[in-house]
Amino acid sequence: MLLEIRNLGKSFGGVAAVDGASFGVAEGSITALIGPNGAGKTTVFNLVSGFIRPDRGTVRFEGRDIAGARGDAVARAGLVRAFQAPRVLTRMSVLENVMLGAKDQPGERFGMSLLAPARVARRERDVQARAHEMLALIRLDHLADDYAGTLSGGQRKLLELGRALMSEPRMILLDEPMAGIAPVLGQQLLQHVQDLRARHTTVCVIEHDMDVVMSISDRVIVMDEGRVIAEGTPDEVQRDERVIEAYLGRRAPMEAK
Amino acid sequence: MDFLNPAFWTFVAVIAGIYAIMALGLYVQFSLAGLPNFGHVAFMATAAYVMAILVVRYHVPLAVASIGAIVAAVIVGLLLAGPALRLRADYLAIATIAGGEIVRYLAMNLPELTGGPIGSMGLAGPGNIAMYNQDWLALLNRLTAVLSEASGRAVSRDFTMALLVWTLAGLLMLVFRRMERSPWGRVMKAVREDETAAAAAGKNVFSFKLQALILGAIVGAISGLLLAWQIGIFSPEDFQPTLTFYAYLILILGGLNRLWAIPVGAVLFSVLFSGTRLLNFFPLSLIDSGNRAFLRLFLVGFLLVLFMALRPQGLLGNRKELLLEK
Repeated sequence: MLLEIRNLGKSFGGVAAVDGASFGVAEGSITALIGPNGAGKTTVFNLVSGFIRPDRGTVRFEGRDIAGARGDAVARAGLVRAFQAPRVLTRMSVLENVMLGAKDQPGERFGMSLLAPARVARRERDVQARAHEMLALIRLDHLADDYAGTLSGGQRKLLELGRALMSEPRMILLDEPMAGIAPVLGQQLLQHVQDLRARHTTVCVIEHDMDVVMSISDRVIVMDEGRVIAEGTPDEVQRDERVIEAYLGRRAPMEAK
Repeated sequence: MDFLNPAFWTFVAVIAGIYAIMALGLYVQFSLAGLPNFGHVAFMATAAYVMAILVVRYHVPLAVASIGAIVAAVIVGLLLAGPALRLRADYLAIATIAGGEIVRYLAMNLPELTGGPIGSMGLAGPGNIAMYNQDWLALLNRLTAVLSEASGRAVSRDFTMALLVWTLAGLLMLVFRRMERSPWGRVMKAVREDETAAAAAGKNVFSFKLQALILGAIVGAISGLLLAWQIGIFSPEDFQPTLTFYAYLILILGGLNRLWAIPVGAVLFSVLFSGTRLLNFFPLSLIDSGNRAFLRLFLVGFLLVLFMALRPQGLLGNRKELLLEK
């Protein structure tokens, strides 16, 4: 297991958003995290990616415990995330947004552009070339010099994915990538996600569109009320009584006549 | 005073240059890293006071005292960073304005250390008028003599100072432009736009904010030193929060998030602010001078509002960028 979560818990006030969730994500897989609204899926993502500190539990990534590590440290370790509402840097160009994602940029250290300009410029050229390739891949290259703030919602999701992929992550967390975007862009995004698996990048995705979940996932993890209630292949999960119950509610017992 | 008096405009040029450096310090914090620091004046006040105290009380050479003053401003920056960098936007603004006022009130209420309300003059104790800038004036006079000799005509001391201040401002802007266009500047802007996104991209947001705050403190301290040397004596009244607002005005007038807009904004602001001092011609000369001084501040405010209404992006700003929400 590339990512291994044990007994993860987080409460906000008196509400246990995540209440002892445990699951694993296999290397090279596409794993879907599903469940009704309020099940704690996004909170799990926030806990795993270091944007909220867990109250309890462990998060192991590549065997190392990263529970409680800061978001930027988790990202540098190779576990990056995209947000449900895409976070692009609106008053920066599309190209700059993508370039930001690259790792190992000596020019990001204070004063390096003055002390070692040649080294900084060399790496910058590489990063820029790779950013253009990435933009071509996500088909935003014609917008490279536009402000990211002028993009549509779907384009922003693609851009965020591009920024995340620039760091060549081992694993990526996608929070509802298909929500609120045009069908054409949705299909494109879906294709990118499947391409990721082909390149051995592990994907964990929160998604509400069941057709998408069932068609692309290797494994499905079902959460309800902060816990994992079922886990398995798409077929297994679809037939699971507890899952149907969580989504549709329990059948009321017949009144005995 | 006459409208075209060159001595007056040379003085305005000096102040404009000092304000440009002051605004540059704020630019690093506000325009690059998105930190709305409303206590920028604290760095200037700290530097001016530490320099003057070291020179007057401890007879430290001016150069050493100036370095000590910049270090002190950095320490104030670090003290401010602790609570302030945990806060976002509005709360950070409130915390920093308080930080700036704390420095001013300390200066006002610790007369044994700072000379109290009478300011730098009181540093040598009652009955003695303290001077901290003899060494600076000596240096300036030597430079002025050299310039006069080289150019073949009498050059004023303010002219030398203006040249010095603007050269320094130009050099600092060249350095910052280079840094702004490097990957370092890219991360800074990402922190400004969305610190969560910057963190998700693996950047250490706190470290970058701290760098911006400290850099701004250093540049602010330099402008505080120059201001202290130029005005000769200062008191806590010279470091009112309005000075920070002037720095914001300069950034906004010139055009937000544009480095080269700073000198433009500084000149425009200084001309608006000082130029209105000379509105003593007909029909304004019918009003007595006390009322005219009052009218002047009113006019400055009115011109600023008018300018912002007609050109919200500032002189060099980009309207398209302004309209994009964060």
